Amino acid sequence: MSVLVQSVARILLAPILMVAFAVLVKGYADVGDGFAAGAIASLAILLQYVAFGPERTERMLPIRLLPAAAFAGLLLALGIAVAPLAGGDPLLTHPPGAGGEVVQLGSLELIGAVGFDVAIFVLVLGATLGIIHAIARQAEDEDEDEDPR
Amino acid sequence: MSERLRGRAAAHDLPAGAAILAAAAGFAAVLWGWSQGGGVLELPWAPTLDLNLRFELDGLGALYTLLATGVGLAVFVYAGRYLPGHLAHQRRPPSHAPRFYGLLVLFMVSMAGLATAQDLVLLFVFWDLTAVASYFLIAYDRHEVASRWAALMALLVTGVSAVLLLIGTLVLYAEYGTFSVPELFQRAQAGGMLTLAGGLIAVAALAKSAQVPLHFWLPRAMTAPTPVSAYLHSAAMVAAGVLLLGRLYPLIEPSEALLDGLLVVGAASIAVGGVTALTRDDMKQLLAYSTFSQYGYVVFLYGLGGAKAAAAAAFYVVAHALAKSALFLTAGAVTEATGGAKKLSELGGLARELPLLAAASAAAAATIAALPLTVGFFADELFFAAALERGPGAAAIAVAAAGLTLAYLGRFWAAIFLGARRKAGRVPIAMLAPVAALAACVVVGGVWAEPLSSLAAAAGESTVRAPASASVAYHLDARAENVMAAAAWAIGLALLALPGSWRALARSAAELGSRAGPERLYGGGLRRLNELSDRVHDLEVRDLRTRVAALLVPAGALALLGLLATPTAGSYRVEGVELGDMGLVLMLVLACVAAAAATLPRRHLSLALVLATLGFALAGVYAFFGAPDVALVAVVVETLLALLVLGVLALVPAQVLRREANIQVRGSRRWRDPLVALLSGAFASVLAWSALSRPAPERSVAAAHVELASDAHAKDVVTAILADFRGLDTLGEVTVVAVGMAGVVALLRRGRLW
Repeated sequence: MSVLVQSVARILLAPILMVAFAVLVKGYADVGDGFAAGAIASLAILLQYVAFGPERTERMLPIRLLPAAAFAGLLLALGIAVAPLAGGDPLLTHPPGAGGEVVQLGSLELIGAVGFDVAIFVLVLGATLGIIHAIARQAEDEDEDEDPR
Repeated sequence: MSERLRGRAAAHDLPAGAAILAAAAGFAAVLWGWSQGGGVLELPWAPTLDLNLRFELDGLGALYTLLATGVGLAVFVYAGRYLPGHLAHQRRPPSHAPRFYGLLVLFMVSMAGLATAQDLVLLFVFWDLTAVASYFLIAYDRHEVASRWAALMALLVTGVSAVLLLIGTLVLYAEYGTFSVPELFQRAQAGGMLTLAGGLIAVAALAKSAQVPLHFWLPRAMTAPTPVSAYLHSAAMVAAGVLLLGRLYPLIEPSEALLDGLLVVGAASIAVGGVTALTRDDMKQLLAYSTFSQYGYVVFLYGLGGAKAAAAAAFYVVAHALAKSALFLTAGAVTEATGGAKKLSELGGLARELPLLAAASAAAAATIAALPLTVGFFADELFFAAALERGPGAAAIAVAAAGLTLAYLGRFWAAIFLGARRKAGRVPIAMLAPVAALAACVVVGGVWAEPLSSLAAAAGESTVRAPASASVAYHLDARAENVMAAAAWAIGLALLALPGSWRALARSAAELGSRAGPERLYGGGLRRLNELSDRVHDLEVRDLRTRVAALLVPAGALALLGLLATPTAGSYRVEGVELGDMGLVLMLVLACVAAAAATLPRRHLSLALVLATLGFALAGVYAFFGAPDVALVAVVVETLLALLVLGVLALVPAQVLRREANIQVRGSRRWRDPLVALLSGAFASVLAWSALSRPAPERSVAAAHVELASDAHAKDVVTAILADFRGLDTLGEVTVVAVGMAGVVALLRRGRLW
């Protein structure tokens, strides 16, 4: 892959991840949600795969645990969904309730539903990267099969 | 060495200890609860669906939970010693042990739940839980084909029949409007519907108790490790069937036909099991046939009807379960001591080497054979009394059954322990003690039957919802029960003394059963189902275009029917296009062009790019249509998808791609595929046109969502819908995402996640 693509991919990595993060946390105030954020973040990493190949990418970035993170995200989402049951509320009741006070962090609004969105973000990111990794590794394994050393 | 010992302790002793503690605690808790007079625990489960978690510790519940935890305790102690050797023998790591205890405890808990549940749906849940646990326990030696086959058979026979229980439950709900067992008893009235539901439930119960003609899974299940056989196939799994009969008896009793059916099935099971048991050489096989023959007694008793028979049935279940699990454990201990002998013909003369085991198993065998000074004598006394009440025919069957039982159990015990003395190894104390404890129970019960008979009477009361008694005692006189018992012993001893007279006959009967029996039907049916599934699978996946056509054409036809049935006034309106809509129109035109262009390219790469263009054009449509959230996701997903398709194409060798790209479409395909595409496209367009022409309803769900968004502290309605209003849908969808990833990765990486 050309040097140009590699340097563009490297330069773009941090900004794309930043955009993904913004889409995630601003999801409740603006366009976007956890799903879109997860897909954008995995695009950033997919770009690295295209530019550097799976081996270098996986050495360069701490993404080894991401496929397992898909299930962690699922567990987190399930946990957030069933947690209100303990208090006698229906499934997926996000605090604060209607008319409740919202905790502000700068211009960020911390509401329960954001936690659910974060879980979906982790899940989508993990799932897409798991698939990307499986396909990329498959290509490598086949190269090895064809080339008996 | 100490390292290894510690490893063994961690893998075996901890889970075994936990299981033993759980059983002991459960037994103590139930005993305490019952001594306090039982009780009801009711929690709402899904009130809108009329489902309640309703448990009641009544007589029947107490009897079966005590049985499940008590026999469980003995079996778990035994398993703690048995399993390390079993695993070492099969060269399996000790890490396979915890699962075994986990499944045993799961089974025990579901059995306790089944015994105390007072809600039909809850009953069904626990019923299936026992089936699932038993599946994994029977297939515990999963590297052996016979074990897997036996486990599948047990699961299919008891699981498919469990569906009948569910259907029966739904029939009852449709008729009487409640799942609650006590309420159902109040509302139920004799009639066709009740007979239907009762019949369905009875079939499920009979399959679980391995009654003829659904008995064949039980002997097969003997491939399970000995503790599993001793627990599931004497005291728990098969007992669940008669437990269900006892629990829902008021639904079955009103129908004479059902009771007669139970009588016939019970008698047939006694005969088939008893005669086949006479011919078996394998110890566990013999015990398996004996087991369903004995549960035939219980079914027969329920078929006789009445409070007396119900109490006798409960009494019989306990007596049999204690003794039969002791006999199963004996078989395992004998195999252990002799270094692997499993057949009666390989055994004999062990009485002097293993005197305690011989004595304990003699007591257990005597219990099932109904000899005096064991609790079995009382069980048969009740059995004879109930049969006598019915008439001479039932009494004759009862005597013959008891005689047959004495004969095959005498043969079993004598073949192992009598004869020329033979050397044998030691039986570890942890394997001997449970047998001895169970034997002590049946002997003590034979002298002091009061606790058991009062419990059985209480169980009979909860079965027939009327006072019942199971009082027993020794009477040294010529009353009818004693005469019948003596006659049964005479028959049994005669059979034992003259094996030549019946052996050929019994062998040919058993042979006929194995050749022409229902197991053949099961095997043939399974094969046929497999073939059918193969054919459907072949039809479905051999050709992608046929599969797509098979979806699109019926969907299009349904849409057409819908359109024809809807009034057309006001539909299909055409309105002018404003200048502000030009972006939208342009994007739609681009999408149309891309869709049309997708029919042209022959090379996979070009096709993928054209389809990606179509996707982006549609994303543009969303953007101009005022759905920025959807547009964002569409763009991102379309990019990901395009890149992944390119990645997958890179995996396929170039010459394969070239060859595939040059395949000519022949024959009817040339006009069929375009026609299907055009027609389904036309249907979709007309449908969309018609839908978009309708004026939006005044108060739509969408409007409500927009109003509610501020209550959810959201400025973006779509996100609020996804994460809050329709969060449950999202939860389901993301679960699909995770499962889909696991599937893709498992296929590509052969099960590794990384």
